[in-house]
Amino acid sequence: MSMSAADAAARSSQVSSPVGGGRRKPVAVRRRRLGETPAAWLLIIPVLILFSITVIYPLVETIRLSFFDIKGLGKPKFIGTGNYIKLFTDPAFRNTLWTTLVFTLGTTTITVSLGWFLAMLCSFAPQRTLPFRVMIFAAFGISEAVSGYMWISMLRPDQAGLLNSVIGLFSPGFAHPWLGDPNTALWMIIVAASWSGVGLPLMLCFAAVQAIPKTVLEAAYMDGAKPFAIMRFIMVPLSMPGVRVAIFINLLGALRAFDIIYVLTGGGPVRSTETVGYFMYRESMTQFKLGYGAAATVILLVAVMVISIPAIIQRTAGAK
Amino acid sequence: MIKFKGVLGRRALLSGIAATAMLVMGGAAIAQDISGELAILQWQGGVDAEMWKKLEADFVAQHPGVSVRELTITAQGDARGGIRTAILGGEKVDIIINTWPAFRKELADAGILRGLDDQWAGLGLESTLSQSWRDLGVSDGVSYGVPYTYGDRSGIWYKTSHLKDAGVEVPKTWEDFIAAIKTLKAAGYDTPIPMPGKYWAHGEWFESLLLRTGGVEAAAKLAAHEIPWTDEVVKTALRKYAEMLEAGCCGTPEQMFAGDWDLSADQIFKADAGNFLLLGMWVNARAKGDYGLTEGVDYSLFQFPALGMGHDDTSSVDAKELLVTANGENPEAADAFLTYIVSPEATKILAEYGYASPSSNADTSLLGPVQQQATAAVAASKVQFVLGDLLPGDLVDEYRVQLQKFLQDPSDANIDAVTAAIEAKAAESY
Repeated sequence: MSMSAADAAARSSQVSSPVGGGRRKPVAVRRRRLGETPAAWLLIIPVLILFSITVIYPLVETIRLSFFDIKGLGKPKFIGTGNYIKLFTDPAFRNTLWTTLVFTLGTTTITVSLGWFLAMLCSFAPQRTLPFRVMIFAAFGISEAVSGYMWISMLRPDQAGLLNSVIGLFSPGFAHPWLGDPNTALWMIIVAASWSGVGLPLMLCFAAVQAIPKTVLEAAYMDGAKPFAIMRFIMVPLSMPGVRVAIFINLLGALRAFDIIYVLTGGGPVRSTETVGYFMYRESMTQFKLGYGAAATVILLVAVMVISIPAIIQRTAGAK
Repeated sequence: MIKFKGVLGRRALLSGIAATAMLVMGGAAIAQDISGELAILQWQGGVDAEMWKKLEADFVAQHPGVSVRELTITAQGDARGGIRTAILGGEKVDIIINTWPAFRKELADAGILRGLDDQWAGLGLESTLSQSWRDLGVSDGVSYGVPYTYGDRSGIWYKTSHLKDAGVEVPKTWEDFIAAIKTLKAAGYDTPIPMPGKYWAHGEWFESLLLRTGGVEAAAKLAAHEIPWTDEVVKTALRKYAEMLEAGCCGTPEQMFAGDWDLSADQIFKADAGNFLLLGMWVNARAKGDYGLTEGVDYSLFQFPALGMGHDDTSSVDAKELLVTANGENPEAADAFLTYIVSPEATKILAEYGYASPSSNADTSLLGPVQQQATAAVAASKVQFVLGDLLPGDLVDEYRVQLQKFLQDPSDANIDAVTAAIEAKAAESY
């Protein structure tokens, strides 16, 4: 017993001691990992195969295609970085970058701030607001194409549209073509996308607030803190991990937005709602310029990685 | 009992019976020669898809040894992307339904299509399709397409009660048409033409105006980029378009961009808020099916008004054709289907669904009154295929966006800017 306890202590010191055992720790860890290698590989190979087929191969193929000029069913022609050079001189693509930025920031700001605000309200009466949270989250589960068709009827250009008829109560005869006006179309899409997207930030922020230890809140009450102070100094700061995750997920989703734009405006009017995701579809699928579309895809991928890699590193920094 | 003596000789009668029997048995033998699966790439939905099921069932009834497999492409709008994906994905079909001449050329250039010049007469197509219809299916001098239906794209649809109540006669000239717009506006219609400017349908007006200002020759040259988009004929057509806009035909650009042709049709035939729609023959099926209107009574169509510029005998048309593939596994059945699609049986089914056939076997009396009117107008016109379907993919996209910009500002200065922008794109597209 004493031997094994000493052995355990030695092992513990090898693994956990940052000083003294520091030089020996990697050796011990490596030995153990090498010993486990066959079993580990056996377990990981199916996943690796699947990952290679479904992620790595399409990724490599997309990058490869982006160096070719492909028009319709014609033979691919290698053009090096030609597609990338053309992309950045294409005014339509430059316009999509700006539109994507506005759409991404707009939807993320609205969904996260509204979701967080509702989470704060719900946290004061978690049981009573359960049906309310379920209803809001249910919208998150609706396909964007379906919600798009719903919004089309609400934003009809005539007085039969819900929005026009509501405004018409105060201004009889009011009829604005919300989706036909280049000045309002993008904002309407942002509102429509945010409507279905607010459920996720609500749940994430609510979960973060619920995770605040009760003892902290009780201590604050006992110290005489008012509800506003509790919210400001305890609930808001401690809900931030949920907010960060919500921002991260919304940014990624908004960058890749396509469905709702396709349904509501088809990128118009006059390309005013064309995001990178829609541009990619138009070039690849409508015009079948696969190489050019692939180059746009790679640029979108880089944008997604720029956002996601630091976030993933931050989220996994404390993990063992 | 009928006595044949004195009417027909017994020998003649027996010979006749024998000949008929041989013909029937021979026909059956020919039908039995064809067997196996016939794969058809089909991308149409709704009643068109239903019509195709009926055509295929009728074909199978005539050729019991054949089974038909439909490779269905689901698409909203342009189906070419889905067709390309299916072909690149390794799908093998015997027949492709097509409506885009530019796409036919793309398929032919990729070696996917089988030319029909050697078989044209043998398949009975020479006697059923006139040379002008055959020419519509030619790419680079080779016959590939067998057109089976066509539509008038220079016909303007209207609801009869609107014109009657406003005291407007069916306009014959451009001046009449502009005057009709003003009269209808005075009668309380804010947008006599609810312009469907969301995607592509706003181009229809330009295309008919181009034909009436420059004729089919200019339109064909423009489609092939043998004249630039900055040519005076294009600008003249746009100036005529501007006259219509200045007469207050269509409301604000925002209203035009808000909807596609289905919303425009709703505005005219359902909400009674607009009057004229320039679109293909599928309005006919919608007016009857969706709005419950009676063809020729509640609604009708008139040909594009005369501009008096020497080209008023022109019409824009669309057509659907069958293409046979070079790698199809059942070329015999594919050939038999080409013969079938121009047969009296097939054209009758097409007519039941309101579609005109270019085949000489078609009985136009089976068509409704409005469809007959459109068919007669096309027959009397020099025709040009819809411009948008002739242009390369990236150019047609730019063309439609630039036309939207024209709708925002139909001034001469903007006409110059818009045509220059399309020409810049055209320069890199051909």
